Amino acid sequence: MASIEIRQARKAYGTLEVLHGVSIDIPDGEFVILVGPSGCGKSTLLRMIAGLESISSGEIAIGNLVVNDLPPKKRDIAMVFQSYALYPHMTVAENMGFSLKLARRSKAEIDQKVSEAADILGLQPLLARKPAQLSGGQRQRVAMGRAIVRDPAVFLFDEPLSNLDAQLRVQMRSEIKALHQRLKTTTVYVTHDQVEAMTMADRIVVMNDGNVEQVGPPLELFDRPANLFVARFIGSPSMNMLDGRIESIDGVTTFVSGGFTLPIRSTSAVKPGQEIVLGFRPEHLSLATSGSTAQLNAEVVVVEPTGTETLLNVTAAGHAFLALFRERLDLAPGDQITLSLDPANVHLFDKVTGKRF
Amino acid sequence: MMTIAVPETAVRAGLWQRLAFANKTDLVTRVLVVAITIALLFYILLPVYWMLKSSFQPNQEIRVLPPIWFPTEPTAQPYTNANRLIPMWRYVLNSLFVSVTAAGISTIIACSAAYVLARFRFPGATIILGLILLTNLIPAITRVFPIYFFIQDLGLLNSYAGLILAYVGFSLPFAVLMLRGYFESAAPPELEEAALIDGCGYFEAFWRVILPVCLPGIAAVAIFTFLNAWNDFLWASLLLNQGEMKTIQVGIGDFAQEGGGVQYVNAFMAACVVATVPALVVFVFVQRWLVGGLTAGSVKT
Repeated sequence: MASIEIRQARKAYGTLEVLHGVSIDIPDGEFVILVGPSGCGKSTLLRMIAGLESISSGEIAIGNLVVNDLPPKKRDIAMVFQSYALYPHMTVAENMGFSLKLARRSKAEIDQKVSEAADILGLQPLLARKPAQLSGGQRQRVAMGRAIVRDPAVFLFDEPLSNLDAQLRVQMRSEIKALHQRLKTTTVYVTHDQVEAMTMADRIVVMNDGNVEQVGPPLELFDRPANLFVARFIGSPSMNMLDGRIESIDGVTTFVSGGFTLPIRSTSAVKPGQEIVLGFRPEHLSLATSGSTAQLNAEVVVVEPTGTETLLNVTAAGHAFLALFRERLDLAPGDQITLSLDPANVHLFDKVTGKRF
Repeated sequence: MMTIAVPETAVRAGLWQRLAFANKTDLVTRVLVVAITIALLFYILLPVYWMLKSSFQPNQEIRVLPPIWFPTEPTAQPYTNANRLIPMWRYVLNSLFVSVTAAGISTIIACSAAYVLARFRFPGATIILGLILLTNLIPAITRVFPIYFFIQDLGLLNSYAGLILAYVGFSLPFAVLMLRGYFESAAPPELEEAALIDGCGYFEAFWRVILPVCLPGIAAVAIFTFLNAWNDFLWASLLLNQGEMKTIQVGIGDFAQEGGGVQYVNAFMAACVVATVPALVVFVFVQRWLVGGLTAGSVKT
C-alpha cells in the first residue's frame, strides 16, 4: 500500500518534450485513471512510474520514497500490459509465480500465493496450461494474476482491455473494479476509452498533448468540465457545441448564435460582447412543449434507436447536433421537430482560451 | 438412447480417400502431381541411396551391370578399409570439433550482438547494420587471399584455431541479421519489461525470458553455422591442409585425388557416408526447435 506523488514530471526525447511538467497526487488505495487521446503522454507517464522510461526532470515518489533512480524491480509495483506479455515458455502457474521465484520465496509459499490468486480470478483449472492454450480473456486474467500474486504497493495497468472484444471488455471492467474494491491497492490505469474511465475510476486525470487538463471524480468531470477539451472528451455521446456571443437583450444576459437565443443565469461571470462556445449534452435537449424556453427548430437526419434510448442526429440553425431521449420516439428522417434546452444545463466556455466560465 | 454412427472414412480420410476423385480433370491433376513428386524424390534421393548402398557392397558388386540395388551380403568392411586408407575417424572428429566450436562461438557472439541491435537505439546502429549487410554481399572467393594472409600473419595456419576463427567470421554477419529479426518478432519489448518489473535485472531478463523464448531461432542459427562449417571444403583445404588435423571434407578430397574414387569405390563411398551422417543427425535432433511455435500466445498477434 502506498501513495504516489508526481511532481513536475517532464519527459523529453532530445529536444521533443512529450510531457510538460505533470503533477498528480494519488492517495493510498485510490483508483486513478489516466485518459486522453493517443499521443497525449498517458502511457509515457505510466511507464515513468513503472521505471521503464527515465524521468527527464521532476520527481516521482511511491510511498514517500523518490523512485527516479530506482530500477523497476525495486519500486514494488506490478504492471499489466496491453499485450499481456505472458512468458510463453512457462505455464500459467509459473507465469504467476515468477516474481516470487525471483525473490527466492519457498516453493510452498509460491504455490499458496499462486493458488490464492487463481481462486480470486477463477484460474484454478488453467494453472498447468501454457499461454498459447488460453483465450484472450483468460490471458488477461493471468496477467492480472501475475500482478496480484506479488501483493505490490501499486498496480499499473496499460490499456489492459483494448485487445478484448466488446462484451468481454465490459465484463473485465467490472472484474477489475471488484478486484480493486477487494484488495484496495493503489492503482494507476491508462486508457483512451472515456467510458472505461468513467465507470471504473475514483478519480480521472484527463491528459492532452503532455499536459493535465483536469483531475477529478468522474461525475465532477462530467458535470463541470474545466475546458472545451474535457467537455468534448468526457461523455458519450459527446457534448454539443455552438459558437456565439453574449449580448444584453432587455437587460438580460443572453447567448446569441444566429437566430438562436438563450438567456444565461445571472450567476455566470460572462459579460456582454464576449465570444463564447456554448456546450450542452445531448440528453439535456427535450422535445419542446408550449411553455418551454430556448426553443430550437430542428430537422431529423438520422434516428438511432438502441432500445433503451433514442439518439437523434438533427440539424438546427445550420449546425449538426445530437439529441438523446430516454423514451422511444416515432420519428423518421426529414421530420421537423422543436427542441428545447434547459438553461440550467449548459456550459459556457471562452472561445479563445477554451476555459470554463 | 440414440447413438449416431459416424462412418470411419468421414472421420479421417486416408491418402486414397483424399485421392478419390470427383471428376476426370481432377484425376489427371492428382496423378500428375503424384508422378512429378515421385520423380523429383527419385532424382534427389537416388545418388544418396547409391552412396549408402555402395558403402556396404564389395567393389565387384558395385561395378556389375545391370546394377544390384540391394547389397546381397551387406558388409561393414568398406568402412574399415576407408579408415585404413585415410585416418577417417580422426578426420570426422576434427570436423566435429571445428564445426561445433565455430557454431558455439558464433552463436554466442551473434546472440549478444543481435539482441543489442534489436533492442537498443544508439548512435551508429544503422551504420553497423549496413556494414554487416555489406559483408554478405562480397563474394567469398575474393576474400581468399586477404584471409589466408591474415591467418598466416596471426601464425594460425594449420591450426584448429585459425580455421575456427575464419568460420566464426564468415557465419557471424548472417547469424546476427537473422537473430536480430528473430528477437524483434518473437520477443517483443513488453516481455522483457514484464520480466524487469517482476524482479529481473537486464541480464536476468535476457537469460530467463528472452533466451528461452528465442531458442528456436538460436538453434536455427547454430545449426546453420554448424552445417556451413561442416560442409566447407574451400577454407579447410586452404587453412588446415596438413597432417592428421584435416577435416573430413578435405580428407575425402585427398582420397579422391589419390584414386580412391576409382580403386576403392566402396571405401570411398563409406567415407562419404561418414561425412554426411553427422549433419543429418544434427538436423533430425534439433529440427523440433526449428518448427517454432513456442512463441505463440505470449502476446496478442
